[in-house]
Amino acid sequence: MNAPLGPRKVVGTPVFRAGRTVTVQSYLPEIARGLGITMGHFFKNTKEMVLGQRPDPVLESIEDGVNTISYPEQRRPYPERFRGVHRLTHRADGSPRCVACLCCSTACPAQCMYIVPAEYPAGDARRGYERYPERFVIDELRCIFCGFCVEACPVDAIRMDTGIHAAPYDSRDQFLFDKDLLLGFPGRDGQHDHINPRTEPGDPGFPGVTRDKHGH
Amino acid sequence: MTTGNIVEFALKAFIVVMFGMNLAVILTWVDRRQGSMMQDRVGPNRAVAWLPRPLAQALMLVPAALAAGGIIFYFLKIPALPVERTNRAMFFSQLAIFALWATGVAIAGRVQRRGIDNSLDRFVSSLGDPRRIFYAGLAAHLGTALVAALLKGTPEGRQLREIGYGAGPAVLAAAVLAGAVYAAYSIRKQERVGLRLAGLLHPAADGLKTIWKEDFIPPNADRFLHGIAPIVSFFPVLVVLAVVPFGDTLCFAVKAGHTDYSQLLRAVPPGGVCVEGAVKLQVVDLNVGILYFFALAGTGIVGAALAGWASDNKFSLLGGLRAASQMVSYEVTLGLTVIGALMIYGTVRLDEMVRWQAENAWGIFVQPLAFFLFFTAAVAESKRIPFDLPEGESEIVAGYYTEYSGMKFAMFFFSEYVAVVTASALMVTLFLGGWHLPFVYRDGIHVAFGGTSYLDVPLTQLSAVLIGVLAFIGKVIALCWVQLSIRWTLPRFRYDQLMKLGWRMLLPASLVNVLATGLVMLAIASAGAVVHQSLATAAELTMVVVAGTGLALLVWFVAFVLRPVHKRRLIVSTSAKYAEAQGGTHTARMGA
Repeated sequence: MNAPLGPRKVVGTPVFRAGRTVTVQSYLPEIARGLGITMGHFFKNTKEMVLGQRPDPVLESIEDGVNTISYPEQRRPYPERFRGVHRLTHRADGSPRCVACLCCSTACPAQCMYIVPAEYPAGDARRGYERYPERFVIDELRCIFCGFCVEACPVDAIRMDTGIHAAPYDSRDQFLFDKDLLLGFPGRDGQHDHINPRTEPGDPGFPGVTRDKHGH
Repeated sequence: MTTGNIVEFALKAFIVVMFGMNLAVILTWVDRRQGSMMQDRVGPNRAVAWLPRPLAQALMLVPAALAAGGIIFYFLKIPALPVERTNRAMFFSQLAIFALWATGVAIAGRVQRRGIDNSLDRFVSSLGDPRRIFYAGLAAHLGTALVAALLKGTPEGRQLREIGYGAGPAVLAAAVLAGAVYAAYSIRKQERVGLRLAGLLHPAADGLKTIWKEDFIPPNADRFLHGIAPIVSFFPVLVVLAVVPFGDTLCFAVKAGHTDYSQLLRAVPPGGVCVEGAVKLQVVDLNVGILYFFALAGTGIVGAALAGWASDNKFSLLGGLRAASQMVSYEVTLGLTVIGALMIYGTVRLDEMVRWQAENAWGIFVQPLAFFLFFTAAVAESKRIPFDLPEGESEIVAGYYTEYSGMKFAMFFFSEYVAVVTASALMVTLFLGGWHLPFVYRDGIHVAFGGTSYLDVPLTQLSAVLIGVLAFIGKVIALCWVQLSIRWTLPRFRYDQLMKLGWRMLLPASLVNVLATGLVMLAIASAGAVVHQSLATAAELTMVVVAGTGLALLVWFVAFVLRPVHKRRLIVSTSAKYAEAQGGTHTARMGA
């Protein structure tokens, strides 16, 4: 109400603005400067392109210069924890590790997994102790690559460490990855197995692990 | 008109049209590719033709073997006349030195790219910085010339000459062959080799693509005019090249009053322009010369205006109107800027203009303001950024070719680039000495001041003219490149700014230029001998400046290209870890 009259005190720092000097108004010096910058980049980048010395987009990402890559002929490697297409890990004998407990399909927020559990045939040491998946289908189109299935799995049977990204296909049924396909993907290290060993019933190295169903 | 004349005309027309169109095709691609490069991107570089390895090796070895064989054959079967012995020894020694260091530099480049592969690679990389090879080569070039000049006429000199005479061709042939063998050997592990021609397959692929694209004509368009507009805009920019001389006159022998095309004279008297048996390297030597250019450049407007009107589209019409008004405005400046040059050269024939510049000084030195104004107006004439108001995609979609597709669109697009080439060719002819290079005369390279000769290399007529043709092509390419980099640098003008620039700045400036030129010419005409003498010295000085700057730029450029690049690798992420394991991201191939 009782603001003092007169010029208000300006608070803040003045912004630098290029004045309308002769060099700016006559265009030419500024055009020459611009051309110089253009040609500098042009020469440098062309030279590095021709000599194959342009920076690597990953290894030399802090260097200036052209570091685009010609996807898909050239690809940037995915980081180690990249969640790619699922795979089903193997036991030592090549059968799936999966015990068909349905933890993964329960955890799946996108409900993209379909598992039909089955009993091992009579006489198999594992019969009655654990089941195996008769069908194991993942709809990769519906999958949201959250990784919850990997977290949920109690036996480390499903992993997303293939390093393959979700591929585009022509039709929807091509996205339904079945058990055989999922078992066929190796991890990024090329192995179908992994570092956590799976002990089988009757393994002498693990005497405490009994497979006696009568105990339950 | 004899059959010879017709064939000669057709051949020259073919050469000029091929030059213009091919350069325009290359520019179309360069504008995209190198334009991205300057923005730190890669741009289109995918086009590749895969050759099986044996074919690629054959393509390397056979031409090299033929070249080496040709050199040896030339040396053995066509011995030099005694007077030519020194020249030929010098020529082949210099060429051999060039071949040696160029091969060395190429191998060093390959080692940098692909790493050490064999013992020759190891040796070359042990030499260190590839610039050393280049500098050693330069030193050898100069040293040979110096030794030859010092020992001229002495018995040691004669002995050295004989060594050079024999060893030059041998070393040259060996270097050519060795380079090819190295290249063929270095691809021995590859299944196939990609032929990319430095990316030049891409414009060819693009051109083919447009032929198969849909040719859309709007339902209410004038079908005839819509179809003819691209041709109308393409034709004039190309035929303008007809009056541009691309080389010095060739002198043939005359037999019974007719030009004997089978016999090219070895030498022409210096400064002598042959009257009979002359073949001008210019499609037509019109007496109206440059006026032909202005007449045809004016009709280029019609194409754009027709396209704008015939498309039945508001944006097209606006674009056509803009194109018409812009081109008319700048045509005025274009015409008036040349007046000053015409006054000085005293002719409208482009051939004679080049000759005047060769005898005195290049046009850019006598008419610097005119060159600048002409350059600006010529860029505006070609309707390219920063003067691309007729297209102005942010304002009027695509301007006068909004409703064009397929090959018709490509023709508009292409005519823009041909216009760049023709404008450059004309600027080179008017202001940059056309096919002339300083100190290169019809009988050889002579550097002499005030009676003292510093360099004296005789040339045959053919090689002197060829040097001229190459100089013309090089200058045109350089000027095209400047035009392209202007496009990569500057933003678009506003429409009123465009008109203001044309009518209020360029036009008055060109009038002032005419006035100033007239006054200076009057003053010089009435000045004494001292002024004339100093002007002649100044003209000689400009030649020295041009030659010196050109050579220095060349040396700087090669040294710049060879300067190694040091990069810091930073392996912090697992992505980088994988990339390093694969030998870098660039080499990582698809392999899911």
